[in-house]
Amino acid sequence: MLFRHVKAGVILGSVVAVAAIGCATARPTAIGSGDPVADRQRLMKNNGANWADIQNKVKAGNVEGVAVNAEALALHAQRITLLFPEGSLTEKSKAKPDIWQKWPEFQAAAKNLENRAGTLRDQAVAKDAAAVQTTVTTFGRDACGTCHTPFRVPPPQQQPAQPRS
Amino acid sequence: MKPTHVRTGVVLGSLVALALASSATGQSPTKIWTSDVVADRQRLMKLNGASWADAQAKLKAGNVEAVAVNAETMALIATQIVALFPEGSLTDKSKAKPEIWQKWPEFEAAVKNYGVQAEKLRDVARSKDQAATEAVAKEFGRQACGTCHQPFRVPPPQQQQQQQQQTPPTR
Repeated sequence: MLFRHVKAGVILGSVVAVAAIGCATARPTAIGSGDPVADRQRLMKNNGANWADIQNKVKAGNVEGVAVNAEALALHAQRITLLFPEGSLTEKSKAKPDIWQKWPEFQAAAKNLENRAGTLRDQAVAKDAAAVQTTVTTFGRDACGTCHTPFRVPPPQQQPAQPRS
Repeated sequence: MKPTHVRTGVVLGSLVALALASSATGQSPTKIWTSDVVADRQRLMKLNGASWADAQAKLKAGNVEAVAVNAETMALIATQIVALFPEGSLTDKSKAKPEIWQKWPEFEAAVKNYGVQAEKLRDVARSKDQAATEAVAKEFGRQACGTCHQPFRVPPPQQQQQQQQQTPPTR
């Protein structure tokens, strides 16, 4: 009986300890407003603006200039999943509950953005205009869309004033 | 005898679990990055430098409004800097000065200032006011970058600086 109590105590203690470690380190890079919806909308807006800048530069023939924006997308992408803590679904959020129901898929979609942005960055650094052009052409669907289609409520038609390829 | 074994097993198991959890998440405070915090912050600061160079190039070309995206990128990056300087993360490759950890509140304040300055540049760029944006940009190297780099970073050799940045910062 005594042993059982001790055992239960140890198990409980360990669970609490592990949970505490998880909490302490899970959100180290939050943007810091305390409002995860506002934070992630700010981050995604900058992603959108970097993407618009990429398209403008490609149009202007400034292939190498794309690299800085692609790297911004790659680094921002690493923060995305941290900005979607469970239960952070407010009226202002366009996030679908599917994010938390299919968390591994959501993680994979964010990672996919990081990888594709990294590819685009490397092509731009190499000044490979043809490769950059090809990646940019499919980026909206293959990078943004892979996450937005399953996990974001589509914005009303008027809103997407941001240039699309 | 048997319960003792079970208990020992549980204790050992918990310790192993804790050790694993802390080595996976505890060592570097920024789990999303690699295990090399110096490489991580150098990558981050390189993007800062490149964003600043892009902002200056746009400003020179008269494309004022487009500066905003770079300034906002810098402002967002600024929120990550402090977490990438855990105590004791000073290697041969790092240009960080030990003063960072001796004067931690000043370091935090310098990073915070950088974020504020980047937001200022962003907002003035959004207003499309070329003269006002140029005025903020002119002071940016000293007011934003320099406030942290002067006290807390070993200055890079002249050549390196020119190689890394196509448009050298105005300082």
